[in-house]
Amino acid sequence: MLLMHSQVKAKTPPTGLMSNTEQDQQFQVLVEQHKGILYKVAKTYCQDESERQDLIQEIMIQLWQAFPRYNPQYKISTWVYRIAINVAISFFRKYQRRKSSVDLSDPPMYITEPENVEKEAQLQLLEQFIHELRDIDKALMLLYLEDRSQAEIAEILGLSLSNVSTKVGRIKEQLKRRFSNHKI
Amino acid sequence: MDLKELWQSYHEKVEANLSINRKNAEDISKLKAKTYLLSMRPLKIFTIVVGFLWVIGVYMLLLHAFQIGNYFFLISAAVQVVLTQLAIGVYIYQLVLINQVDVSDPIVKVQERLAQLKTSTLWIARFLFLQLPVWSTFYLNRSMLRNGEYGLWIMQIAITVSLSMLALWLFFNIRNENRHQRWFRWIFQGGEWEPVIKAMEMLEEIEEYRDRAA
Repeated sequence: MLLMHSQVKAKTPPTGLMSNTEQDQQFQVLVEQHKGILYKVAKTYCQDESERQDLIQEIMIQLWQAFPRYNPQYKISTWVYRIAINVAISFFRKYQRRKSSVDLSDPPMYITEPENVEKEAQLQLLEQFIHELRDIDKALMLLYLEDRSQAEIAEILGLSLSNVSTKVGRIKEQLKRRFSNHKI
Repeated sequence: MDLKELWQSYHEKVEANLSINRKNAEDISKLKAKTYLLSMRPLKIFTIVVGFLWVIGVYMLLLHAFQIGNYFFLISAAVQVVLTQLAIGVYIYQLVLINQVDVSDPIVKVQERLAQLKTSTLWIARFLFLQLPVWSTFYLNRSMLRNGEYGLWIMQIAITVSLSMLALWLFFNIRNENRHQRWFRWIFQGGEWEPVIKAMEMLEEIEEYRDRAA
């Protein structure tokens, strides 16, 4: 039975006496269930659409290579976030592009009603402001916006709870200030 | 404005419409790609091997110089070989760091290791600069000392003293805090140094987190 159908099941070690086929299947389920994380991390760290496809592929390669070493003491989402963000910050080789075989492009926009046009503009501003943050601040903000608990953010980043709480508060204030300045 | 609400209102819809080709995920699992860090290893090992061979070669020359009593060459080569050994030590340290990096470790831990790995390249540059003066002394000998003209000796001393001062100054000043200085940017310009400069910025960011925690 595939083990990634829920996070509870995912706490079982993925390898051990498993066959390669079982491991392949588990990996495919893992990618399917966490494609949202892959997409959002890539979008946060890479603005160029075609480079983003390469980045997602690089993250998937690193996930696959780290898969046999998955430590079940962590939630699978914590593990995926760690790898995805680490790859996005520094493992991704911009100038040595592989021929990407992954297509996880931006899906078509569905927000077209007039009242949502403003929301869309605000979202673009938010993404732009986040993109201008420094790398670890960016990760912190992404995890906050993804509604991760402070304990999980601390675990993913390797920071203390108080540090996470103080820093999230400061970045939030900074972003809100930028929004209000932009309106003026 | 609620930032979380704004972010999630869009991304929930996006996530629902994302699709990943099952075939592609399968392809990835069959890919025997080398990780970024492991791809750095062969060049470092090659450099260490060449460095060792160089050190052995210089030690043999030192032995020869000792027998014929050419102290200028002896001291110059000894300084050069000691600094080369230190540079090899940095390469070995980098190999250890490469083996220690686990991409699934917490972000700050991984980024700090990687930044240390990249910025340690500056130590190699510092050792190389420290070798500068000996390149102006290794060819001297007793006969030149006895028969040399004053003018030439004044020029020789001026060059060696200047190179020594420059080497020491660079050795002590090539460090993180000076990365914004014009001279620093001039020496470390170009694409190959860009990751080192970025790594210094990352170390500074991590340090700020540490300061807040303290």
